[in-house]
Amino acid sequence: MTAQQQSNGTTATPAESAGTRTVRFRIKRQDGPGKPVRWETFNVPVQASSAGSGSANVISCLQWIAANPKTTEGKDSTPVVFDCGCLEEVCGACTMVINGKVRQACSCLMDDYAPNDGDEVMLEPMSKFPVVRDLFVDRRRLFDTLKRVKAWVPIDGTYDLGAGPNETPDDQQDRYRLSTCMSCGCCLEACPQYTLEDDEAKWATSFAGAAVISQVQYFNDHRTGATLKKKRLDEMSKPGGVSDCGNAQNCVQVCPKEIPLTESIGKVGRAVTFHNIRKFFSGS
Amino acid sequence: MSESLLDRHHYLLRRLHSLSGIMPAGAFLISHLTTNSAILWGHANGKWDGMHGGAAEFQHEVSFIHSIPFLLLIEIFGLWIPIAFHALLGIYYARSGKSNLASYGYGGNLRYSLQRISGYIGLIFILYHVATLRWGWTFLVPGGTEWSAEFAGSTMGAIMQGSPDGFTAMGFAIACFYFLGVTLLVYHFANGLWTAAITWGLTISEAAQKRWGYVCAGLGVGLMFAGWAAIIGFAALDVDKARETEMQMIESHAATPEQADTLSTATSKEDH
Repeated sequence: MTAQQQSNGTTATPAESAGTRTVRFRIKRQDGPGKPVRWETFNVPVQASSAGSGSANVISCLQWIAANPKTTEGKDSTPVVFDCGCLEEVCGACTMVINGKVRQACSCLMDDYAPNDGDEVMLEPMSKFPVVRDLFVDRRRLFDTLKRVKAWVPIDGTYDLGAGPNETPDDQQDRYRLSTCMSCGCCLEACPQYTLEDDEAKWATSFAGAAVISQVQYFNDHRTGATLKKKRLDEMSKPGGVSDCGNAQNCVQVCPKEIPLTESIGKVGRAVTFHNIRKFFSGS
Repeated sequence: MSESLLDRHHYLLRRLHSLSGIMPAGAFLISHLTTNSAILWGHANGKWDGMHGGAAEFQHEVSFIHSIPFLLLIEIFGLWIPIAFHALLGIYYARSGKSNLASYGYGGNLRYSLQRISGYIGLIFILYHVATLRWGWTFLVPGGTEWSAEFAGSTMGAIMQGSPDGFTAMGFAIACFYFLGVTLLVYHFANGLWTAAITWGLTISEAAQKRWGYVCAGLGVGLMFAGWAAIIGFAALDVDKARETEMQMIESHAATPEQADTLSTATSKEDH
């Protein structure tokens, strides 16, 4: 710790370093898919933010554990495996279940979650995706479903697109909010209608979830993206589509980007209603 | 690779499920509870002078319903089959989700879980209710009273009180079960009406969903009072007085309040 204090500057006085507290991490571990689950606890020293080290977060604590993989019982363990990327809550990689609720680990500050000495923080991997190892999950189903609904603007370069469509600031602002989705999986983890599916063959008919439905709205709302609107709405009419939503609306409560997911669900629901009435009478 | 029937018509079935909950099931619930609450407010219109107004008004309503031609066919195709369709698909859909209320105790999540619980218990209640009162499964009725369309109020009172002579412990349990069943089903309808508006794409913005939520809650509270009024009315019914009233109505064939007016004039003359 001395080295860390030095690297953080020389402002630490003895009184401030007395502000170090211990946070106990209770972590759900699993060596691989299908392997047995075990719980391990680690004591991690955390400095008060007044000590000039900034505030510790779950990632920095996991990094400390990686360097000191010894459990509270004094048993030698292995570094806890976790996924992370940007460390500023825009990539979604470090999403995990912290104290029973899903969120990003990087923005989870110890000053909020464990302000007192001896406070416990519980870490679990997301339960709706297959575990790769420890806190690292495989979110391929989410990306697979995004591909299935063609969550992109089709620009294949085979023809001249001409000038881009005119855009109003209001429309742009509406879509901007939807564009901030980082496919982290929080909305899916909190959704009672989205359940773990290990069998890849069943992904195509399992509930798409709020993130994907919102991306359908995002790309259907784009003038060029709307080229694929009917195909997306067809996908949304199938098993796993928007009508599988149970309206618990947990998605919008847990979304770290505060995306109006339930409005997207409502909009796609309306579009699918009209789409299918049109199909019923005119065939396409 | 052949898709199952459920998968092939997934969207249509989902929408029919939603529709069947509103029409006919929900629409019937409104008329059913307002009709039955007559047992309590039947006194209010003053048209049943000298009689038990609640029993008379309720009997009047029941007699009207039982005068509808092809009632059994209407019941089978207009109520029982749509409700069975709604229930079976509902169970199938509900089983695809997994409640996580313990971790995410938000209001919407509570409504989601309650919608499924109320569906399950409500279905058991409806089966019991229809089997005992309409199909005559009196072995499931404490006291064994059989409901009769000619003595609608008095038999219903005896069923809900456990005996024709007043409350028994089992009768109290049945009254409680009715209270629970009706309350949950009214919730199920009101909340279902709220979510249906989102599912069909009627309400989109949070504000619109909130506004429609007030409408549904208002309807739910109103129906709840009607349902509770009916249960209190039957649980507190003077069965003997109600039976006397029904006898009077049969004797005079008083199917309408106007006829009842004549009847009450006739009976008051007899008193002199």
